Amino acid sequence: MAAYLSMGEAHRRIGDYLSRVVNAISSSDGAALASLISVSSAPGSTPLSDALAAFPDFPRLAGDRFPHLADLLVPLLRSIHSHSLQRFSDAYSSFEKAASAFLQEFRNWETPWAMEAMHTVALEIRLLAEKADRELATTGKNPDKLQAAGSFLMKVFGALAVKGPKRIGALYVTCQLFKIYFRLGTVNLCRSVIRSIETARNFDFEDFPVKDKVTYMYYTGRLEVFNENFLVADQKLTYALMHCNPQSESNLRRILKFLIPVKLSIGVLPKRTLLERYNLLEYADVVTSLKRGDLRLLRQALDRHEDQFLKSGVYLVLEKLELQVYQRLVKKIHIIQRQKEPAKAHQIKLDVVVKALKWLEIDMDVDEVECIMACLIYKNLIKGYFAHKSKVLVLSKQDPFPKLNGKPV
Amino acid sequence: MASHAAGASAGSDAPHAEVVSMGQTNPSPYPPLASSHQAWSSVSGSATVSWNNQVDKPSQDTVYYDPQRDVSVAGGNQNVGVSASHAAQSSMGITDASHSQLPYSSSVPHGYNPVEYANYYYSYPQATNDSSVQQGANQHPGAAYQPLTSFQNSGSYIDPTSNTYYNAAGHQTVPGYGSSSYYYQNNTWNGGSSGNNYAQSYQNYSSSDTNALQSSTSMPANSVPYQQQYNQWPYYYDQSVPNASSNPVAGNSTTDTVAVNNPSGYSYPNSQPPPPGTTPWRSNSVASVAPPMQAPGVSGPQNQYTNQAQDHNSNQATGVQWSQNHYTYQAQAYPQKTMNLSHAPLSNPEDQQRTAAPIGPSSNTLSNHVSENFQPNLQGSMTTNASSESKIQIPTNPRIAPGFSMVIPKSEKKNLGADLSKKPAYVSVSVPTNDAQGTQVGPDAVMFCSLLRLGNIHRSIPFSLRNYTIRNLNRCKDDAQRTACTRIMEEIVRKAIADGTILTKNWDTEPLLPLPELGMTEASDSDKEQDLTKYYASATALANSPEEKKRREHRSKRFERSQDSSLKSRISSANKDAMANMHTRRAISSHLSRTYEEGTRAVEDMDWDALTIKGTCQEIEKGYLRLTSAPDPSVVRPEDVLEKALAMVETSQKNYFYKCDQLKSIRQDLTVQRIQNGLTVKVYETHARLAMQAGDLPEYNQCQSQLKRLYAEGIEGCYFEFSAYNLLCVMLHYNNKRDLLSSLASLSKEAKQDAAVKHALAVHAAVLSGNYVLFFKLYKKAPNLNSCLMDLYVERMRFEAMKCMSKSYRPTVPVEYVAQILGFLRTDSEGCTADGDDGLEECEKWLKAHGVVLSVDSSGELQIDMKASSATLYMPEPENAVAHGDATLAVDDFLARTS
Repeated sequence: MAAYLSMGEAHRRIGDYLSRVVNAISSSDGAALASLISVSSAPGSTPLSDALAAFPDFPRLAGDRFPHLADLLVPLLRSIHSHSLQRFSDAYSSFEKAASAFLQEFRNWETPWAMEAMHTVALEIRLLAEKADRELATTGKNPDKLQAAGSFLMKVFGALAVKGPKRIGALYVTCQLFKIYFRLGTVNLCRSVIRSIETARNFDFEDFPVKDKVTYMYYTGRLEVFNENFLVADQKLTYALMHCNPQSESNLRRILKFLIPVKLSIGVLPKRTLLERYNLLEYADVVTSLKRGDLRLLRQALDRHEDQFLKSGVYLVLEKLELQVYQRLVKKIHIIQRQKEPAKAHQIKLDVVVKALKWLEIDMDVDEVECIMACLIYKNLIKGYFAHKSKVLVLSKQDPFPKLNGKPV
Repeated sequence: MASHAAGASAGSDAPHAEVVSMGQTNPSPYPPLASSHQAWSSVSGSATVSWNNQVDKPSQDTVYYDPQRDVSVAGGNQNVGVSASHAAQSSMGITDASHSQLPYSSSVPHGYNPVEYANYYYSYPQATNDSSVQQGANQHPGAAYQPLTSFQNSGSYIDPTSNTYYNAAGHQTVPGYGSSSYYYQNNTWNGGSSGNNYAQSYQNYSSSDTNALQSSTSMPANSVPYQQQYNQWPYYYDQSVPNASSNPVAGNSTTDTVAVNNPSGYSYPNSQPPPPGTTPWRSNSVASVAPPMQAPGVSGPQNQYTNQAQDHNSNQATGVQWSQNHYTYQAQAYPQKTMNLSHAPLSNPEDQQRTAAPIGPSSNTLSNHVSENFQPNLQGSMTTNASSESKIQIPTNPRIAPGFSMVIPKSEKKNLGADLSKKPAYVSVSVPTNDAQGTQVGPDAVMFCSLLRLGNIHRSIPFSLRNYTIRNLNRCKDDAQRTACTRIMEEIVRKAIADGTILTKNWDTEPLLPLPELGMTEASDSDKEQDLTKYYASATALANSPEEKKRREHRSKRFERSQDSSLKSRISSANKDAMANMHTRRAISSHLSRTYEEGTRAVEDMDWDALTIKGTCQEIEKGYLRLTSAPDPSVVRPEDVLEKALAMVETSQKNYFYKCDQLKSIRQDLTVQRIQNGLTVKVYETHARLAMQAGDLPEYNQCQSQLKRLYAEGIEGCYFEFSAYNLLCVMLHYNNKRDLLSSLASLSKEAKQDAAVKHALAVHAAVLSGNYVLFFKLYKKAPNLNSCLMDLYVERMRFEAMKCMSKSYRPTVPVEYVAQILGFLRTDSEGCTADGDDGLEECEKWLKAHGVVLSVDSSGELQIDMKASSATLYMPEPENAVAHGDATLAVDDFLARTS
C-alpha cells in the first residue's frame, strides 16, 4: 500500500498527468500520448494511481480543468483508478468511454499524428477486455467485454479504413480484431474485415507496416487452414514466416505451428532440427510416421497430442495425412518387392499389405485394405489399378507413387 | 418539403392553385409555396366547404361582403388602437342591426383574424424563405382574400354565380367556425364542463332564424378561438419564448369578443363560448400566447405581416418540421374523409350538438364515434389529459379537414341544396366537417393526434421516427390496438427525448412493436355504429380510468427508470392482470432492444419469475400452434399433465406428424412455463429420436441445440448418446470443420469411452479417409439411432465409393461384392448371402440408376464394367425431390404418411 499522500500532492500529480495528456494532444505528440494512455501495462501502484486513490474527487478536477476534453480525461482517470484497484470490469467500461471520446477526437484530426495513440487504445481495450472477462468469469458473470471491445474496434476500423493517410493504421486494428475473434471463436466475423482490406484498390497491401502484414498473414493463413485451403494457407503462412522478425522466436514458432501441418499435407516434410529449434516436437512423430509409412505411429501421435491439436485446429489436417502414410507403406513394400523379385515388382498382392498392417497392429480386414488401395488410386497417390478378382494392386511402370509437389491430397 | 406531402394532398394541389389564381387578385404567393402549403390551404378549405354551400343564401347580396372586405383591412387598423375601442365598435355594429351589413363589419376585425390566421399559415411554410414572406406582406390588400380564395372550394362548390369575394367572406367565417369548433375541443379537454356549455350554446345559435345575425354573432364567437388558434401556432413553436406583453393583449382579445357578443342579443349562448374557451387557454399558456395576439389585434395589417414574418423567422427551424409531420398525416386522413362524407348528416342542430361533443373525442385519439352519451364520460376523463395535449389538438383538425374539401362529392352538394331550402344556411357551417371528423376520423385521427401529442413533447421529431410510428400504427388491426400502440409510441418517444436519442437513433431499423392485443377487443367491432359508440366509449372510459392512469404512470416511470435497476417490484405490481402483463412485456421488450448495453444488466435484474405463467389446462392432448401473443394460462398444461402427455405420445400408435405436433406443443408449454428439468430433457430427447427416425433433420437440430444447452446446465439425460448424434450430425451433414473441431474438443475422456461416441468417431475416421467399407460396416453395427443419421449419408457415400472404385478397379468387379461392401446386403462381410437376393436386386437397381455399366461374364455372374462405368456414372435427381426442397411438405407425400 502506498504511503500516505497529502491531498495537495495528489492534486498536483493528477493535474500534472492531465496537463501532460492535454499537452501531448495540443502538440500532436502521438508517442507521448500513447505512453500516457496505456492503462493495462501499468503496475498495480503508480504515483498517479496513488494520487487518484487519495483524491477521490478527481473526475471533477479533470472536468473543471479541461472541460473540452472531459469526455476523454474523466473516464481515463476512472479507468486507471479502477485498474489499480484490480477492478478490471470497471476499468474496461471506463476505458471504453474514454476510447470512444478519443475516437471522436481522432476522427476530427486531419493528420494521422495520433496513430500511435490510436493503436495503443486498440491494444489497451483488448487487453483490458480480456482481463475484465477473466474477472467476470471468475465471479460467475457473463464475460462479454471482449465482444464489446470487438464492436468498438470495428468502429475504429471504420474510422481508419478510409481513403487518406489514416488507412495505414487500419491493418493494426484489423489484427487486434483477429485476435479478439479468434479468442471468442467467432472467426467468421473476420471475413468482412478481410474483404475490406483485400479489395481496397487505393491502398497497396505492401504499404502497410511489416509487423502488421505479418500478423495479418498469420491470421488469414490460419483461417485458410480451417477452410482446408492448404495452398492459400501455405502461401500466407510462408509470407508471414519470411517477413517475420527473425529475432522473435515465439512468433516464428506460432507461424510454424500452422505452417508445418500445412506443408505436411502438401507433401513437404520439415527437418528434425527445425522442430527441435522451435520446440515443435509434437510434430516429430507425425513426420516420422510419414517417412516410415508407420500408420500406428501416426495414430499414436495424434492420440497423444489430441487436445493440443484440436485446440489449435490442426487435428483434422493431421488426420488427413493417413492416406499419405498408406502411400508410403505401399511404396516401401514395392521397394522391397522390387529387390526380391524384380519381375513382379509392379504387382503387389493385397495379402502383403494386409500382413504389413497386421505387423503395425492395425486391425483391418481385406476388404478395408482393398478399399484403402482403391482410395489411394482414386486420390492419385498411386498410379495403377486394382484387380479385384486376383486381389492384386497393379502399379504403373512410370512413377507409381507420384509426389504431391505442393498439391494437397 | 414537397416530398413530405403525401400523394393525396399532392394530387389535390392542382385544383387549389387554379381556384386561387382565378379568384385571387394576387396569385403570386402561391407559386413559391410548396405542396406543404397546399396542405394548409386545403385544411381551411375543408371547413369552408360546408359553410359555403349553405351560407350562399344568407349572404345573397354581394354588397354584404364587399364592405366587409374593405373593412377587414380597416378593421385591422382599428385594432391597432386600443382594444377597448375596437370592442366598442364591434359591439355597436352588432347592436345596430342584427340583419344589416354592419354586424358583419363589426365582426370584421375578428373575421380578419381568421384571414390573417390563414395567411399566417400560408406564409408559414415560406418561413424558410424570407422573400416569400415579404411577398405576403406586400400584397396585403389582396391578402385578405388570398387565403380565402385559396379555399379552393369556393370555386368548385359555391354557386357559380356568387362572386369570389363573396365567397371569400364565407370562407372567412368558415375557418373561424371550423377552428372554433376545434376550440371547443379544448374546452372539453381543459375544463370538463366548458365543452358542454359550448355545445349547448351552439345549438342555440342554430335554432335562431336570422341568418345574417347568426353569422355575425357566430363570427365574433369564432374569432376568439381563431385568434387563439393563431396564437397557438407560435406557441408551439415558441414555447420557450415567453413575451411579457402578452397578457394585456390576450386580455384584450378575449374581452373583445365577449363585448361583441353580448350586445348582439345572443348574450347567453354566444357570450358563453368565448369565456370557456379563453379562460382555459389563457391559463394554459398565458405568456406564450402573447406574440401572435399582438400581431392580429394590436398592430395594423402591415405590421401584422411583419410580425408574422418575425414569427416565422423565429419559428422557422421548428416550424418546418412541424409542417412535415402534418402533411403525411393529412394524406392519411384523406380516405377517411371521403367515406365520411357519404353519410355525414349535415346541417342538423342535433348534429351540431353531436359533433360538438365528439370533436373532443376525435382529437382525443380514443373514441371517435361517440355521440352525446359519451360526452359526460369524456369530460370526466379528459380533464386528466395534460393541457399540452389539448392544445396540440387544434392543428389536428384543420389538417384533417383538407381531405374533406377535396373529396366532397356531388351528392353533398345536393344535400346542401336541400338543406338550404329548409334551413338557415349557416347552420351547417361547421357541421359537416366536424361531424365527419367526429364520427369517422377514427384511426387516422388517433394516429395523427398521437403524433401531435408527441410533437408537443419535442418539437423536432425526425422524419424517420414519424415513419416508424406510422409503420407501427399501420400494423394495427383495429382502433383499440392502435390506441395501445399509440400509447406505447408516446412512451418510446418520451423516453427517446429524455435520453436524447430521438435524433440520433436510427428509427428506420428500430424493430416494430409487437402487435398489442387488447383484452377488450372482444367488444364487437361490428359495423353497427351503436356498437362502435359503446365500444369506444368504454375504451375511452377504460383508457382514462384512474386505474389505467396509474398504469400509464407506471409505464412512463419505467421508461424513465431505464438507468436504475429496480424493475422488479414495479413489473410484478404491474402484473396484476393480463393486460398490464402484456403492456409490461411490450415495454420490456422494447426497452431491451433499445438499450443494448444496459440490456444485459436489465435482463439480469429482471424478475422473470414474475412474468412466468402457471398453466391450468388439464387436457393431455394439444396441438401445436405458434404463439403470437402472451400465453394464456388456461390453455397451458402444468408439468404433471405434460408428463402424461409425453407418455401418451411415446405409446401412441399414430404417425410421426401427429407425434411431432404433440411434442412441439409440449415443448411450447414447457417453454412458456420455463420448466427446465429432467422432463424437459426427456421431451427433447424423445422428439429428437423421433425426428431422427423420420429423417426430419430440421426438427432434430432444434432439439439437439436445446439439449446441448440443457446438458450444459447440468440436467441429467442421455448425454453420451446425444453427443454421438451431435458428432455424426456435424460431420455428416454440416461439413463445417470448425464445428466439428469444437465438437471433438468438447468430448470428455469418459465420453470417448462410450460405445456410441466411439462409433461416431470411427464413422468420422471412415468418412475422412474415404473408407467406404468401414463406413458400411459401422452402418450395420450402429448403436442407438446412429444409423438413422448415417442413413441420410448413405446415398452420398455409395456414390463416392462407386466413383472411387470405377477409377481404381480394373477390369470388372462383381455386383455381389459391391452389394456387400456398400451395405445392400443385410449380412456381415464374412457371412454368406443368406437373404441376399433382394439386396442384390436392390443393388443392381441402384447401380443402374446411377449409370453403372453392367455385364455378365462367362460364368454367368453379373459384373460391373469399371472402365465404362467411370465415364457414365452420375448422381440421379432424388426421386422424391420437390420444388420447395422439403419432401415432407409435398401434399401427396403428407397424405400418404398421415393416412
